[in-house]
Amino acid sequence: MPAKRIIPCLDVKNGRVVKGVQFKELRDLGHPVELARRYDLEGADELVFLDIAASLENRGTREAWVRDVARELSIPFTVGGGVSSVEDARSLLRAGADKVAVNTAAALRPDLVCELADAFGRQCVVAAVDVKRDPDLGWRVYLKGGTEPTDRAAVDWLWELNDLGAGEILLTSMDRDGTGDGFDLPLLDLASELPIPLIASGGAGLEVHFLEALEHGADAVLAATLFHEGILPIPRLKAYLAQNDLSIRI
Amino acid sequence: MSAITLIDYDAGNLASLEGALERLNLPFVRAVSPDQTASSGPIVLPGVGHFEAARRSLLERGWWQLLPELVAEGRPLLGICLGLQLLAEGSEEAPRTSGLGLIPGIVRRLGPGVKVPHMGWSQVRQASAHPALPDPDGAWLYFVHSYALEPAAETVYLADHGRPFAAVEARGKVMGFQPHPEKSGPTGLLLLQSALAWMGATASVPEAPCN
Repeated sequence: MPAKRIIPCLDVKNGRVVKGVQFKELRDLGHPVELARRYDLEGADELVFLDIAASLENRGTREAWVRDVARELSIPFTVGGGVSSVEDARSLLRAGADKVAVNTAAALRPDLVCELADAFGRQCVVAAVDVKRDPDLGWRVYLKGGTEPTDRAAVDWLWELNDLGAGEILLTSMDRDGTGDGFDLPLLDLASELPIPLIASGGAGLEVHFLEALEHGADAVLAATLFHEGILPIPRLKAYLAQNDLSIRI
Repeated sequence: MSAITLIDYDAGNLASLEGALERLNLPFVRAVSPDQTASSGPIVLPGVGHFEAARRSLLERGWWQLLPELVAEGRPLLGICLGLQLLAEGSEEAPRTSGLGLIPGIVRRLGPGVKVPHMGWSQVRQASAHPALPDPDGAWLYFVHSYALEPAAETVYLADHGRPFAAVEARGKVMGFQPHPEKSGPTGLLLLQSALAWMGATASVPEAPCN
């Protein structure tokens, strides 16, 4: 079994890493390369960059910072945000990204996932899925950054993504995101039945939350604020997980 | 000119590898066609994607024919990830074609019973001693692959994913890495440096300040 992975997630807007405070001004945290370097040194196993304002106009800017990050970073990284065609993905992979993440575009046109897997291999394709629990219907898929509900059942969609050729699932619980109350463990129990790696996202607040998620079948855990703000330094988190007998790269 | 020749054949991104070589201060040329090969120094064959697609691409550009000739002349060759698999005799991923046959053995699909692709950090261990590569002592390296070369008596490092497989192979100056040393943090960088130094790559000397 490969090591359980710790993945900081960085939101990027117009070539800068930003911290999203809901309904408030975005705070600038620096250039993607600066943060990439810092997390590389801290012992992150992988990075995820989400371009939160992806558009045709800023495509050039994005390729430039992806290229800079690839040259500096000695660990793998994924780039997502507005990827809706093989050409979008190709430009990111050519610039040096290891994987691309797709979300809304894949839900609107599921063939995109097969096309990407055929073109680049499924190891390059991360399917990001945002879900929220409906008291009657169970977990449902949300699109467009969690703003648009669908009637698609989360578990069905996860399996469909697997069948389409996704290499990995990045699963965000919108119920838990930003709460710091811990990951959605029943959701992880269901999703970890998938034969492809699972990245758990949404809800991390304490060291023990990471341990729980990994014990509930996640292969990797993702967090943003906790790492960006230095609330939980990665070396401390990794030491804690290793002490609890998880397979961790130290 | 002696430099590392990095084969660019549209199978995988070279940005990280170039970044790693820059950080190691090792001069390299990026060669799309064989005539761009440096006159001496190691050749690096990277690669991600499908075995057959990569083979065809190398064939169209003339590398497939040239590499065995260069190796026969004593030129060091390092295959990384799919690059290692292409050096083998063949792969289950493309049963109707053969590999370069520069390293004996067949590449087989990983599994069953484990998640495929094998993606992430795994530990490697020494299988047989090598003059350039130290005992890794459980070092973590980054892997992304669905197929792997079966281990042989000469295999240098082993890793496990469901079963043991060859993580690092060497036959004389032909070497292969299944993990991505350029994606494996400081440990990977050191390993890449050791392998390339042993293959004859030399760091460029910084220019003297003009005073």
